[in-house]
Formats: sequence, C-alpha cells, structure tokens
Amino acid sequence: MSDDRGTWKLVARRDFWVRLRDRGFLISTAITLVILCGLILIRANTAIGRPVFDLGMVGSSVSPDAITRLADTQGVTVHARTFEDRTAAEGALRSGGIDAFLEDDASLVGLHDAPSAALQQVVQAAVVSERLATVLTEAGLSPEDLSSIQERLGSVSLEPGDPNADENGRVAVVMLLLLYGQLFGYGIWVSSGVIEEKSSRVVEVLLATIRPRQLLAGKIVGIGGLGLLQLAVIGVVAATLASATDVLAIPGHAFATIGVALVWFVFGFGFYASLFAVAGALVSRMEELQNAIVPINLTILGSFFVSIAAIDDPNSALATSASLVPFSSALAMPVRIAVHAAPLWQEALSLALLSGSIAVLVPLAGRLYAGAVLRIGARVKLRDAWRAAS
Amino acid sequence: MLELVDLSRRYGDVVALDRVSFAVPEGTIVGFVGPNGAGKTTAMRIALGVLEPDTGTVRWRGNAVDADARRRFGYMPEERGLYPKMKVLEQLEYLARLHGLSKGEARRRSVDVVDLLGVTERAGDRVEALSLGNQQRVQLSAALVHAPEVLVLDEPFSGLDPIGVDVLSGVLRAQADRGVPVVFSSHQLELVERLCDAVVLINLGRVVTQGSIDELRASRDRRLLRVEVSGGDARWFDAVPGIRLEDRRDEAVLLALGEGVDEQRVLDVARATGDVRHFSRVRPTLAELFREAVQP
Repeated sequence: MSDDRGTWKLVARRDFWVRLRDRGFLISTAITLVILCGLILIRANTAIGRPVFDLGMVGSSVSPDAITRLADTQGVTVHARTFEDRTAAEGALRSGGIDAFLEDDASLVGLHDAPSAALQQVVQAAVVSERLATVLTEAGLSPEDLSSIQERLGSVSLEPGDPNADENGRVAVVMLLLLYGQLFGYGIWVSSGVIEEKSSRVVEVLLATIRPRQLLAGKIVGIGGLGLLQLAVIGVVAATLASATDVLAIPGHAFATIGVALVWFVFGFGFYASLFAVAGALVSRMEELQNAIVPINLTILGSFFVSIAAIDDPNSALATSASLVPFSSALAMPVRIAVHAAPLWQEALSLALLSGSIAVLVPLAGRLYAGAVLRIGARVKLRDAWRAAS
Repeated sequence: MLELVDLSRRYGDVVALDRVSFAVPEGTIVGFVGPNGAGKTTAMRIALGVLEPDTGTVRWRGNAVDADARRRFGYMPEERGLYPKMKVLEQLEYLARLHGLSKGEARRRSVDVVDLLGVTERAGDRVEALSLGNQQRVQLSAALVHAPEVLVLDEPFSGLDPIGVDVLSGVLRAQADRGVPVVFSSHQLELVERLCDAVVLINLGRVVTQGSIDELRASRDRRLLRVEVSGGDARWFDAVPGIRLEDRRDEAVLLALGEGVDEQRVLDVARATGDVRHFSRVRPTLAELFREAVQP
C-alpha cells in the first residue's frame, strides 16, 4: 500500500483513456481534421486567393508568355493561349473554356459583361507596351535601351509592415477557433465528467478512498491532457498539409504558433476547467448544467470576440488589456503573439497573471467542489458549498 | 477495534448525530439499526471520511483514522455507485488501484472477488448492462476488492433476493472470521438478529441501546408469558396481582408480568382454572425491541 499523494495520476489516466477510446471523440476528431484539411486544399487550388483568368488571343502581336509574365507582376494569374480565328475563340468563350479574348490587339471581348477590370488592365498594359516597343525599335532604339526603358520601378517603404501580415492573420484565426473550441469543449467535458460521477453516485465510493482535491486535479489533468493531445495532432496535421500544398509561405511560423497555442491551452484550461468543475459539482443532472455554466460561457465567448477583433487591431487598448487580464488572456494573448504584436514583457506579464490566478482559483474551486459534490438533488448554492467544506 | 467516539454532526439546524459512540471489535459483525433519518448514513460516512464530524473522532486499532488508514477500509454506500459505462473488471481494478494496490495485485484481486461473488461471467460487461442484483454484487466486490481491514456497509441487503442475501451473509461471516470488523446498517431486523454478534440501535441521532441481542433482551424490564388454558374463567389471570393482558386470541393470552410476579404462581393459577395447553416465555424479537425503543 502506498500513500495517496499519487492517486490523482490514476484518476487522470482513467479520465484520459476512457475518453480517448470513446467513439464520439474519435469521430469528432476525424470530422475536425477533414474540415480543416478540406479548407486547406480548397485554398491550395485557388492559387492562394489570386484572381485567375483564361484568356484567348486572336491575331495579336503580343505573345501569350508576355501577358502571363506581366500579369504575374500585378498579382494576377492569366493563362493565355492563341486561337486560329475569331470563330474558334468565340466558341471557347461560349463554352466557358476562356473568360475573354483579345482580338487584333484592339478589343477585349467578354461573353455577358465586360471582362474584369484586373484583366483589362493587364491586357491594356501588355498591348501598349508591345506597341511602344514596336515603334521604338522601328525608330532605331537598341534592345538594351528598350529594356532599360521598360525596367520596373523599384519600391521601398520607410516603415515596412510585416510582409506576411495576411498569412499570420489567417493562421491566428485558425488557431483562435481551435483554441476556443478546445477550451470550451473540454471544459464542458470536465463539467459533465463531474456530473456523471455525481449522478451515478460513484463519487461517494471514490471519496471514501481519495480526497476531493485529488479527484478534481486528476480529472482536470486527464481531460486537459487529451485536449492538449488533440490540439497538437490537429495543429501539426493542418500545418504540415498547408506547408506541403504551399498554402503557407512560411511554415515555421505556423509550427511556432501551434507551440504558442499549446502553452496557452495548458494555462487557459487550468483556469477555466476549475470553474467548469465547480459548475458541474453544483448540479446533479446534465439538463441543469446549461444554466450553471452561463457565466463561464459568456466569459469565454466575450474573450473570443475580443480576440477576433485583436487579429486586425492587435495593439488597441481593448486587445492589449484583454491579453493581460486572466479571464480573457488565454485567447487574446496567443492571437496577439501569432500576429507578432505582443512585446515579450507583455507575454511574460500575461502568463504570470494567469498562472497566479490559477494558483488562487484552484484551491477555491477545490473547496467549492468538495462542498458540493456529495449533495445530490437540488442545485447547490455557492455559499452552501463553501460552508459545507469548512 | 474500530471505534466511533462522541461523533456529532449538524446540518444547519438539524442535529444528525449527537455524541454517537460505539465500537466494532475485530472479528465481529455489528448491526447498525434505527429508523429512517436516525443518522446511520451520516455516521458511516464520517467513519469513511466522506463527511467530517463537527466533533468526535474515529479510531482504528487505537489511532485516529487518517486518509491512509481509510484507504484500507471497505465501504458500500447506501446510494450505490459505479461508472455505468465501465466494464466490471476494469472498474474493480481501477478502484483497487485507488485503494493503493499495485497493478498486478489489483488485477488478481479483481478476478478473485468477482469469482467469490459469482459474477465472473459478466466481468467483461459494462456495469449498466447488468441486472440490479448483479450490480449489487459488483458493488460489494468494489468494497472487498482490496481485502479491506474494516468493512462498513450501508444497507447492503436492500434489493437482494433470498439467494443474494445468503451469499452476502456468507461473505460477511467469512470476512469477520478472518478478523475484519464488519458493521452494516439494515432494516431487515430478522437478518440482523440472525447474523450479527451485536447491535447498535440509533434514533434521532443518538444511540438508544447497544450490546448483544441477549443483552438487549435481558435489559428489557418487561417479561411476557404466552398461556393457553382450555375451559374456566376467561380472565383467570386476574387472580394474580401485577399482571396485564397484552393480547388475546381465543383461549391463548399474552400476559405482561409486573415486577415481583412469580411465573410459577401464574402456572399454578392456570392449572387450577382448566387444562393448560401452552405455557411459554416470549422472547422479544429485535423488531419488538426496536419498536419499543423508538416509540415515544
């Protein structure tokens, strides 16, 4: 016989494995992965959000390659090809094979509406450039002079922004959604795990062998560990796929963001799970749980919306304070880190405040849990739970 | 010896236990009886550390019971409780490990205990798939799986069929024979009378009386005689002063003897009245003692 200090590990192991083997868990993990991978693949096949056009050319002096190259410099993808005559080009246009065709370097023909402004610009520039080159060559300009005329402008910024801001924002959104889902979903799992033990009355058998705090700690660690594992698996699969399909320009950042999300999940879960456990201990039936968790729900949801706003404006007063206050920092701070907005001292301060509040919260939650978990029937008032455990 | 010493506990204004003390010596079975709401469950929960007393202590082998000692207790709560979706054997192994057994030991003991209670065939099933009677057996297995030093069972017989009662009685007796102090609460008083070495009767949070059943009977101040006399005066016993009629069925009467009334004198009067068909001392059942003790 050993002493009971390690029994929370047994509890954690049971809570981890029982849920890992649960069919519902495996199915929901698979669904999340399928959706996320689907989104990544869709994005990979739409050339990372660039407009794409198929252009036909009839009797043009401009080469299709020249148009494609020029389009590329303007952030537009143009697949250009030559047709023998107008009839062939018209046929392709009507059948949807091309979006428009350029006829005799004079007009751009669309089917119903005028061709898109982006395409018009590209084609216009290509034709003008070709005409100029012809005129200048005929006037005796050497090819070297010609290319020096056509050289593009260099562009620099005095205060360059993050060239990857868009991508970082997208990564932050995905991370925020996952983190929100994990904190909330696994928090509910803690509540329902507590209720399951209450309503099946097994809690009295358990409490005859271990202390309420050991039971609470084991449950939070076991369920949180599973949430952490699932988050890591989903994050790594998604980031790997996104890198392999060139959806991400800088995969290293995505993997670093997964690391950030995992760290903040651990602390955020430590904070919220204690609250979820108390909510579960106060009621005896699943149906009553919805009411008991309303305050926690609203807190997490509010933090989620503030964090969404923080992706676009990560240094607003609201975003900065939300990323420091323990109630919302578990979502807001990782978002600001993902978009490279949080200075190191703020990250450290936020973590210190969050872990400090966990240190205060867990014993309080443990006491409320101990005072409420054996009282089956009507919903237990917080004050009664507090007194019962004195 | 398991000792409950001066236990008191209030729930708000309600006094659940008022200085309750009793002891369960090693190797004996003690029946813990009393009406609903008397405080039995509260006392047992305190013995297991599930509840804290306001005052008083629980001792095992002379020492105050701590969390470590309690892990070697076996407990069956009144509200049965197991994980409904966990398999029987897995569940027992888990509980055995919580009680401090090593992995291998937990496995071995779990297999043994389901065998002892006759649920081996259902060991791989989820608890929720079992009949109530079998769930009860698994519940008892959970109390026994770690070979406890002390057994505390709250209403272990409720809901069992006669065969289940026999199995459980045998198990409790075997546990006592290996030196375990066993205390259980029950409303089935004939069973308590048959099985227990001693009884503790509790009412309104206080111990009303305790001791072996013979001691309880002896301590009762009333003596009862059942006498059947054929023929003669129906109230022949009025000739003996200090006698009261308790009950009459045809010629058979139940008489309560006052202090100093000699049984032989009653017999003489009866024989003088007519043919004495029946003459016996009535030993009160535990149920009668119980009613007398708890009725105001």
